[in-house]
Amino acid sequence: MLKEEFRNHASYSGQERFLTFPVFVLVIATVVALTLDKTLETVSLGQLMEFSHLSAFIYGLSVGTFGLMGRQYIERRHGRNNYLVAMPYILPLSFKTTFLGIYIRDALFYLALLLVPATGGLLLAAPVMGYSYASIGLLFASVLLTFLIGLSMSFLASVVFIRSKRWFGLFTAAIACLFVLHGAFGLLPLEAVLPSLGLQMNVRPFAVDATEALMFAAVSVAEVLSMTLVAYALVEVRISISSQSYADLLPKYHEKMRWLGGLKRVLFSKEFVDIRRSGTVAKMSFSFVLPLLFLSFTTWFVNYGLAIPVGFNTVFYASMVGFIGVMMYSWLNNIDLAEYYSLIPVTVPQLIKVRVAVFLVLTLGISASFVVGISVLNDEVRYLWLSLTVMFVTSLYMVLVLAYLTGLRTNTFLFDTSILARFSVMSFLPDVCLVILSFSVTTEWTFALIGIAIVLVMMSLTSLILYRGIESKWGRASFTD
Amino acid sequence: MAAIEATEVTMDFGGMKALDRVNINVEKGDVFGFFGPNGAGKTTLIRVLTGQLEPTSGSVRVLGVDVVKEPIRAKELVGIVPEVESPPTYLTGYEYMYFVGKVRKLDNLEDRIDKWLTYFDLEAKKGTICKDMSKGMRQKLMLASAFMHEPELLFLDEPFINLDPIYQKLLREYLEEYVAKGGTVFLCSHILEIAERLCNRLAIVNLGKVALQGRKDELVRGDEDLERVFMRAIGGGLIRRPS
Repeated sequence: MLKEEFRNHASYSGQERFLTFPVFVLVIATVVALTLDKTLETVSLGQLMEFSHLSAFIYGLSVGTFGLMGRQYIERRHGRNNYLVAMPYILPLSFKTTFLGIYIRDALFYLALLLVPATGGLLLAAPVMGYSYASIGLLFASVLLTFLIGLSMSFLASVVFIRSKRWFGLFTAAIACLFVLHGAFGLLPLEAVLPSLGLQMNVRPFAVDATEALMFAAVSVAEVLSMTLVAYALVEVRISISSQSYADLLPKYHEKMRWLGGLKRVLFSKEFVDIRRSGTVAKMSFSFVLPLLFLSFTTWFVNYGLAIPVGFNTVFYASMVGFIGVMMYSWLNNIDLAEYYSLIPVTVPQLIKVRVAVFLVLTLGISASFVVGISVLNDEVRYLWLSLTVMFVTSLYMVLVLAYLTGLRTNTFLFDTSILARFSVMSFLPDVCLVILSFSVTTEWTFALIGIAIVLVMMSLTSLILYRGIESKWGRASFTD
Repeated sequence: MAAIEATEVTMDFGGMKALDRVNINVEKGDVFGFFGPNGAGKTTLIRVLTGQLEPTSGSVRVLGVDVVKEPIRAKELVGIVPEVESPPTYLTGYEYMYFVGKVRKLDNLEDRIDKWLTYFDLEAKKGTICKDMSKGMRQKLMLASAFMHEPELLFLDEPFINLDPIYQKLLREYLEEYVAKGGTVFLCSHILEIAERLCNRLAIVNLGKVALQGRKDELVRGDEDLERVFMRAIGGGLIRRPS
């Protein structure tokens, strides 16, 4: 299974390029570790640890979420691939065994992909910065436990989901409640949800309390084991072939989209049928709205919780919205296979451009509502025209950068470090400029306006070049690559 | 004008030659059978001939169109049934036909959809989305969508797989009628009995190279059947049997 996972990932961008991903993580971690003194001038070590553990927890949750896709792996073919997870159908193996195999595979694979190289970065910086190797080892152990808590929780949720949607809803609501009790009301320490954080806070470089540390470690291990064992016990595979009959939506959508001409009209209509029937709208909205809420909470926390007067205003939020929403484009590319397009007179660039347009239709409404809401809450309606312009240009620019670089295989190409590096540079530079300029809007209006205008013009011109470039870059690409 | 002219076509996948200087010539009105063992390069050739893959070298003309330069024009002219039935997951049978018809800008679309859904007995299940269809139903849908614009040339990769004997017979009869009306078929199949009845010309490919090509009546010697010709062409006598 480990070999299968490695080959699967390596098939996206080639073995060598895939192997550069952990190297990329190692380099970034080393740089972060070498500049930690600077970072600690603005945030405390405790806050950094909290952030690291929360990130590891979310990473574990995300990895485990793929467990939900196991159902899809079993029910339908993924391109020309078949996966070992489906082997119990034809070999004397139980699904419980393969489930455990997947759990161990994911734990080891994603540990090696990110946590090990990140720890390697700290170890490399240790002689220069004087970090204790024991502290790094303890950090690795506690973060590993946090990652496993996230992974186990996610696996348990996926197993419950297969058995009962109602229990799944209750389970996720209970977990969400724990975080709300901590985050919004301060009624619950984070260590109650993530005991591994408690382990971290009771060992070096913090004040050492061996008894507390051991207790938190034991609770963490017990939490991981109990969730894994319950998930293992509850594993059940239900293959459901629906006999549901659907009303024909495509002709209706096609009729409604008279304003679109030619091939775009039918491709556009089909995309919306796919989005509706696959239930992707809810997932997409969730994955877009949640980061927006997270962004709002973080900035609120910095402004009022940490009492750091950074000056987040509507223009800042508008610039961030465009950058946050871009991954919605990858959702569009993951709804279904595109093999059948190779049988009919449609080109890859035509489909890419249609999906860019669909992305804009889906996101601009949410983004605009968010920006309008923030401007009203902050009493900054006077900046609304500028904020909406910033939001529109950044959204368009970001999706075109992603579409140009990754085409129809967004997820897979983002494992290619050369593409990831280009994407990072192309998104990071204008983002930093806009964020810095947005802080000057309230104090140096003319300067900020001229600066933002220049950045927006540059982004618009680049967007135009990228849009035209899609044809030459992807014109000869195949739907079946 | 030949229906298909492939000259010195080579397809190199990172050092592995799936096709090695393949030359194929198919005349209009032919049912051209393209046979070979698993992994011989049959599907790759169909994908090259239909503009789904660009060859590493060589030229391909289909109905007078240079496929490498104008793959979209070539796809407008031909009908393609792929090896693996893969209609869109979330469209119903009717919607997929509608989608293909709109992409191909067909007139009398409703009549065409009715005709083909009825022909393949998909009418009763036209509200079922492709994800919930059986393999046979999906295969019939792929056939219907490839036939609906009445192309001059059909590329069929294992079209009989997944079909029950009734529909195998129906499809064979349809293809005979289609060719009698002037259509051309390029057929890959492992079901040699059906292929033998349909094809007038054939080629046998092995390890990416054409081992044998010509008129069926010239290649089949004496009381040989197609299976023996196949074995002779690929050196089947050397095949090791499991002990």
